[in-house]
Amino acid sequence: MPSSAGVLTPALTTFSRSVRNRGTPIESSIENLISLLKRRQIRDSKPCAMATAYLLRRVVETFKIADVSGLIERVQQVGERLLAAQPRELAIGNIVRRVLGVIREEAEEDRDGETSGYSDADTDSRPHSAGENGSRLPEAPGAVSRALLSSPLRRGASDQPSLEPHEDGAFQRLPVLTAHASYASTNTGPVVTSMFSLLSHPRSNVALPTATPGSQSAESHPPLSNTALANLTAAKDLRAEIVEGIQEILEELNQADDQIAGYCLEHIHSNEVILTHTSSITVQKFLLKAAAKRKFTVIHAETFPNHHESTHATVIGKAKGESDDELRPESFQKSLTAAGITVILIPDSAVFALMSRVNKVILDTHIVLANGGLVAAAGAKVVAKAASMHRTPVIVLSGVYKLSPVYPFDIDSLMENGDPAGVIGYGDGDMVNKVEFENPLFDHIPPELVDLYITNLGGHAPTYLYRIIADHYRAEDTELDKLNAYQ
Amino acid sequence: MAPSESAQDDTMPSEKDRLDKKVTNGEQKVASMAEHIPGTNGTGEAAKGSEQGQKLADVPKEKELSGKEKKELAKAQKIAKRAAEKQKQQGQPAVDLVAGNKGELPKDSGKKGPLGPATPAKTQHKKTGSTSAGAQSSLPHRQALSHAAPAAAEPGKENKNVALFDHLYGHPRRTTVAGAGKDVHPAVLALGIQMRNYIVCGSSARCVAMLLVFKRVIESYTTPPRNSLPRHLTILLSSQIDYLVSCRPISISMGNAIRWLKVEISNVDVSTPESQAKSDLCDLIDTYVREKVTVADQVIANKANDKIEDGDVIMTFAKSSIVQQTLVEAFRRGKRFRVIVVDSRPLLEGKNLARALADLGLEVQYSLTHGISHVIRDTTKVFLGAHAMMSTGLYSRVGTALVAMSAKEANVPVIVCCESVKLTERVALDSFVHNEVAPAEELIIQGKPSSPLSKWVDVPNLQLLNLMYDLTPAEYINMVVTEYGIIPPSSVPVIIRLSTNT
Repeated sequence: MPSSAGVLTPALTTFSRSVRNRGTPIESSIENLISLLKRRQIRDSKPCAMATAYLLRRVVETFKIADVSGLIERVQQVGERLLAAQPRELAIGNIVRRVLGVIREEAEEDRDGETSGYSDADTDSRPHSAGENGSRLPEAPGAVSRALLSSPLRRGASDQPSLEPHEDGAFQRLPVLTAHASYASTNTGPVVTSMFSLLSHPRSNVALPTATPGSQSAESHPPLSNTALANLTAAKDLRAEIVEGIQEILEELNQADDQIAGYCLEHIHSNEVILTHTSSITVQKFLLKAAAKRKFTVIHAETFPNHHESTHATVIGKAKGESDDELRPESFQKSLTAAGITVILIPDSAVFALMSRVNKVILDTHIVLANGGLVAAAGAKVVAKAASMHRTPVIVLSGVYKLSPVYPFDIDSLMENGDPAGVIGYGDGDMVNKVEFENPLFDHIPPELVDLYITNLGGHAPTYLYRIIADHYRAEDTELDKLNAYQ
Repeated sequence: MAPSESAQDDTMPSEKDRLDKKVTNGEQKVASMAEHIPGTNGTGEAAKGSEQGQKLADVPKEKELSGKEKKELAKAQKIAKRAAEKQKQQGQPAVDLVAGNKGELPKDSGKKGPLGPATPAKTQHKKTGSTSAGAQSSLPHRQALSHAAPAAAEPGKENKNVALFDHLYGHPRRTTVAGAGKDVHPAVLALGIQMRNYIVCGSSARCVAMLLVFKRVIESYTTPPRNSLPRHLTILLSSQIDYLVSCRPISISMGNAIRWLKVEISNVDVSTPESQAKSDLCDLIDTYVREKVTVADQVIANKANDKIEDGDVIMTFAKSSIVQQTLVEAFRRGKRFRVIVVDSRPLLEGKNLARALADLGLEVQYSLTHGISHVIRDTTKVFLGAHAMMSTGLYSRVGTALVAMSAKEANVPVIVCCESVKLTERVALDSFVHNEVAPAEELIIQGKPSSPLSKWVDVPNLQLLNLMYDLTPAEYINMVVTEYGIIPPSSVPVIIRLSTNT
């Protein structure tokens, strides 16, 4: 949950500057980010995502691309190190997956250019079999289709070559639901040997091009196996294209809040009572944009003890006075009260009492999980639960970068406990030795408590999120880090 | 002190002396009588006590009970007094009684004096607020607020009241005794300020404190010529109650007790000699407090104890004296269990409970509202105190409903401990119609000079809402432990009939 203080913290600003500096060796930039993450000087999804994107852009820029698989491996390594440094910031992993997707896509486009003259049938069958076949016969398209026919795993499908290509393609892609894909621990992505891919499950080998905005459809650009990629010689502008792709991701990160705010009028009507929790730029922008057109009331729960300071600062209307050397756009943002919206600040305990008069609950989130659940600031669970008890719709605002293909097998591993000083002050130090204090930072909200997600792509039901995730991440990248695979 | 009250000024110290003596004595007596562990006697702010200050709501019932004539008189008087008070309050400089009062309490506590028979247990609540460590630390905090309140009360331009609760604001809580009616007893004056500052806090504690103070009023009462005691004393009490309401809306238990007391006063035979009538009434009050609170608490603690087993993890919200008594009793019986105290801003009453329990050696975990969904997973039972218990739900400190809801979701039984004096026939479906709105300034985080909220009054369209209570729907409550037995919430009206008819 990017708080008003956390969107562009000084740590992120300085880091992005140092990364941009060509004199900084890449290894020291990586180490720098790792330590910033470990010390939590960069925290919350958006700063983490941006820092990761900055770093990976630099990694790509500095990497001498001999072959694409080397680059993919390099990015994966860096990503693993970042995730190990801060495994609870899943946005890091999301950005690494996106970048990997960009690399693969560019490489495939590249290969497309080299190997011309596919038949229609080839293009259709290719997505299903690229994993195992391409590795054997990387360069010859005709051989690929033969290999497809002979592949034991594909026999069922290849027995009926007359099957309608589009339906088949659509059908075959469906199983790559990310929720399932994250179960698959067999597919390790790029460095698959040919023997290994022969034995691997077909489902996980169905490579999907990313649906990042601007990418092309699966039919026209069949994905290639990783080993095939490795054998490609990098085109000269491959690097530039990848960097451009990362740049697009960065722009998307910057624009996400505004894009989400663009949907506000579809969800807020006049004279509504909206309850929100924590102070989040995303939610504030959303409400503020609606405030320009409609009058409503906002009830703001203060989220004591972890976010109450930023919440108070937000409702008062001054961005937190941390001396930031860069003037942030947020500091020029009007407060809701200045826009003529009545804001009622309440302690968290009053949420239930007020819920029966609330029309909508709008929540910010830390991360969204593959099953439609989410991890948000502690206290959000009871808010969502109270809302569902009163049949009040719960809307979660989240940039696509927060959607993670991770499935919540073990919720506790996503939780984090914070500084107990928020719960018990120094004035009560005598209790510290006798009483146990707990200050959780996050809550897990199961998907059934959420009615609607609004991402920068629009509004989605929680049950549909898997599809968006499948569009944005490649199946082979779902599992970045073995340690995190079972989260 | 207001000029209008100068007549009372000379009587005040002696009255207060007597009150304080009594309080101390009562406390000592009870400490031995009830075999309380000393540590528990010293815990002040009970997290119960419901106040729905709708004084007006009580009026119709009084009418039936004590006769139309009296009622109308009282009403007229009340209206006149309110108007007068308003005028005075506006014109007079703020005199803070709290500081002086606090100083006097310990000073007088050593003296002995005439004592009414069997001053009951709950007296402890009255004083302990100023003696226990936890309450002491919160005292300066509250005092500071009392100065801040008038500033907010004169908005000038913008109405800072939350529209949904506009009917609950009334006039701002009285911060000083200045402008109180001249027939308000000095002990009542002191108690009002103590209630306002949460020194006497919690439904039953406030109820007991009020009854004891009324006993002082009755003891020092003389019927004016050409008046009868039942009639005139009722009127006098009404003005005391008005003052208390202006300090902080009264709780349901207080309302119940007042109703009972008025019936008893009106039942006094006019032919009874005055001194006899007075001592009869004092005896009645003592008996009432003993039966309805002291003994009832012991009975409830014993009954609730049967529900605590070895290995239990018991969650409670904020601080309830009866829950505390139950837990301490279970601990004394050697049961091995863990306690999770969930607390919330701004009162943070649970901290006192956690401290008191931890000092006794119980295993205590403390968390705030934001951690409910985490700690509920370990919990096996939830014990809640009540401010009032209705057949439609539990009316208790704001946040209780969140705990009960989470418990219901986690299939954890919710047990409410509640004396029958807190049961009410009033029904509510939401937390809006009946509630109490505390001064918004209490939400400002104290201690830090640059708290962003300190300037909230200047921000247009910004409102702070500091609710005191919420209503937990009856469906979240599995059982209610009263001194009459363990009942479901739906049986609350039955117990009310039982307890008022017999």
